[in-house]
Amino acid sequence: MRSFRSRLPAIVFARAAIATLVASAGLATRAAAQAALSLQGFGFPTGQLSTRALGTGGSIGEIDPLSPINPASVALIATRMVYFQAEPEFRTISTPTGDDHTRVSRFPNVFGAVPVGGGWVISLGSSTLLDRTSTTTFSQPQFLSAGDSVTMTTKFNIEGAMNDVRVAAAWSPTDWFRLGFGLHGITGHNLVTVQQTFDDTTAFATSQQQRILSFSGTAASIGAQLIAKDFTFALSGRQGGTLTMSAEDTTLTHARVPNRFGGSITYTGLTNSYISIRTSHDDWSALGGLGSATLRGVDGWDTSIGADISGPKLGSRPLYLRAGVRDRTLPFTADANTVTEKSINTGIGTLFANGRMLSDLAVVYARRSADLNETESAWTISIGLSIRP
Amino acid sequence: MTGEFFFNHKRAVLFGMVASTLAIAACSDNLSGGKSCPTLCPEQSVALQDTTIEGSVFADTTVLGIPSIGNETFLMLSTHADTFDSRAIIRFDTITQTFTGASSTDSTIAEVDSATLVIPLALDDTLRKPTAPITIEAYDVDTASTDTVASILTSLFRPDRFLGSRTFAPESILDTLRLPINGDTVLNRVLNGTKLRVGLRLVTRPGFDLRVGSTSSGLSVALRFRASKDTAATPVVVTPISTTPLNQLFLSGPLSDYSIIAKGAVKGNPTLLSVGGPPSRRTFLRFNIPSRIIDSTTIVRASLLLTQAPNRFVDTKDSVRVFPLAVLSSPTVSDISSLLQFLGNAGEFGMDSLNLVPSDSGVRSFEIVGLTRVWKQQTPSVAQRAIALISGLEGQRPAQIDFYSNRAPVGLRPRLRITYVPATSFGLP
Repeated sequence: MRSFRSRLPAIVFARAAIATLVASAGLATRAAAQAALSLQGFGFPTGQLSTRALGTGGSIGEIDPLSPINPASVALIATRMVYFQAEPEFRTISTPTGDDHTRVSRFPNVFGAVPVGGGWVISLGSSTLLDRTSTTTFSQPQFLSAGDSVTMTTKFNIEGAMNDVRVAAAWSPTDWFRLGFGLHGITGHNLVTVQQTFDDTTAFATSQQQRILSFSGTAASIGAQLIAKDFTFALSGRQGGTLTMSAEDTTLTHARVPNRFGGSITYTGLTNSYISIRTSHDDWSALGGLGSATLRGVDGWDTSIGADISGPKLGSRPLYLRAGVRDRTLPFTADANTVTEKSINTGIGTLFANGRMLSDLAVVYARRSADLNETESAWTISIGLSIRP
Repeated sequence: MTGEFFFNHKRAVLFGMVASTLAIAACSDNLSGGKSCPTLCPEQSVALQDTTIEGSVFADTTVLGIPSIGNETFLMLSTHADTFDSRAIIRFDTITQTFTGASSTDSTIAEVDSATLVIPLALDDTLRKPTAPITIEAYDVDTASTDTVASILTSLFRPDRFLGSRTFAPESILDTLRLPINGDTVLNRVLNGTKLRVGLRLVTRPGFDLRVGSTSSGLSVALRFRASKDTAATPVVVTPISTTPLNQLFLSGPLSDYSIIAKGAVKGNPTLLSVGGPPSRRTFLRFNIPSRIIDSTTIVRASLLLTQAPNRFVDTKDSVRVFPLAVLSSPTVSDISSLLQFLGNAGEFGMDSLNLVPSDSGVRSFEIVGLTRVWKQQTPSVAQRAIALISGLEGQRPAQIDFYSNRAPVGLRPRLRITYVPATSFGLP
């Protein structure tokens, strides 16, 4: 066993890295986007996938302990662990009148887990369920009375997300079976700011209104994994409870947290490698009642296939190579049309600090479309760091 | 350099990753126009509402005599043939009886040489030249009678009280005029310790207006003379001071110099709201804005629409800047005349002025949205929902701007046009 003195630099280094990453979250508080296919309704579903799982298109999401999807996968964690994920997206919305470019910074997943003995592991994490962060600026003439008009520029800024805070416990009684349970608190808020400015600044004054929409809801999840010789089978589901949206102390609407179920089959016949196919169904329509009368949620499938392959070693460090493709339906319609997303994913991962730090990088190219003239493409870079303190 | 190098230098690589994370995460916004709107942002369109409220001005009145006598920033020295005549009174109630001689010793004044009134003019008047020479006459207007009554003072502008005069060519009217006056009269007042009160009268055809500096503007007329033929002696300079009313400095101070209207004072007209004019006047307007608008919406434009009535008295083509000002006093002050003296500054609350010509007519729009935002924050019991209209040249020039009041025919009355963002449940997708 290595002495404490020899471990000290790694521990100090790991703590410094954690502090730096936490600080980065504070620095990147502003983000922006525009009206986009992916931002309809209550926003974009980040998928609750870790960087590792995202690199495979999400195909290993059911067996990935860092993705808060299947609570049974938490049982895979052998030591204390914290995980942090940053995920900027560079988006282009193509319209008949031209393209809009924007970027948004997200921190979709933070997670910690502790083994407590007897095959049990408990975890606490927060992940983004729906990210609505966006800024849209557009100008339009306002016709006030006979012969009287003014050009008004509206800046519609929304910051915030609907988050899923999960407490999970997983049990691994044998080598071939894992079982997990999760309790979810749906929380978060949307800070909506509408600013209107006018080209006639003498007569008109800028208008700015702000509103905070807060979410609170509950859900429970259960998951299981069955490990065979060369295959791992995983199933999980989430049962949604009541979801409430309020503004200050006024309850505005009620809905249900969307139910979800999913499963995956993973080939594990290659050492330290996973080839997986996964599908998941989300009852996003349950959120329809949370917004205005015109809001429509769409139940949809999220299907992916991909692999996480142990690649060549560089020095003493393993290198993991990942790739996958994904096809899913986004939760809300755009102009009454269902929005779909197809993506190509790739990623790498390796270990640092004597194996105490696992770093993952994923790059995703996604195309989103509906039966509209507008299309959307996005590059997403996901960076995940998990640390064993 | 090989890949082995990077993996052997784990700190460098890891810090590189952390730095990359920071750089990407902290990247700045990159906004461009919402070309996909309105298709992809239907809930984001918040349309403006526009309404014109008749009867929103439920109390309006014009009060004459503000600013009060002696509080003019500049003294109005005007003449317009048989139509209008205003004069300036300058009081030198205390004149020093000693002077500093060439040897820097103080001596008693025994003679007066080259007595002159040094008359500063408002700067913009130096750019506004008369078309013909003008003459300024000075008279001794000291009297034991009521000393601020125009009719009494006007009667003192007569030959036996003549102190001096001077004619100025248009091109000679710069920032200061020098008017010689009778040195014997000045010496008499010095030796007897009595008051010298000078009345100035403008004589010219066609009419003209001069704005003469006053103690209120810090540019007062001065009496300057030599008390010795020795040119090395320091000239004596006397600034205006009034000793009456006795022991009432609040009143006597402003009366160091003031204007009187000898002819042409215009009475108020109840169907009109007026600013400027002789005597100077201000207009007060109180609003009644429905609470459903002022309390529950965001007002983005509030235009006070006044219909200007042509005024063809004097200076009908000279523009006058009219300012809307906030009434600052609380509703516990009910006297309109008092309310019109507790006003905000020009330009405050984003309220802009209008440059108007007296002889013009038509609808004029005063933008007061900034003030309505203040009213929204405070109840009417704290902040009066009222404004004042004043002329930028009040008490200084006779030009007057008239608007139709609530007593005028319906179509001409004041009204308030409000454009607002209605209260909506914005933000819900």
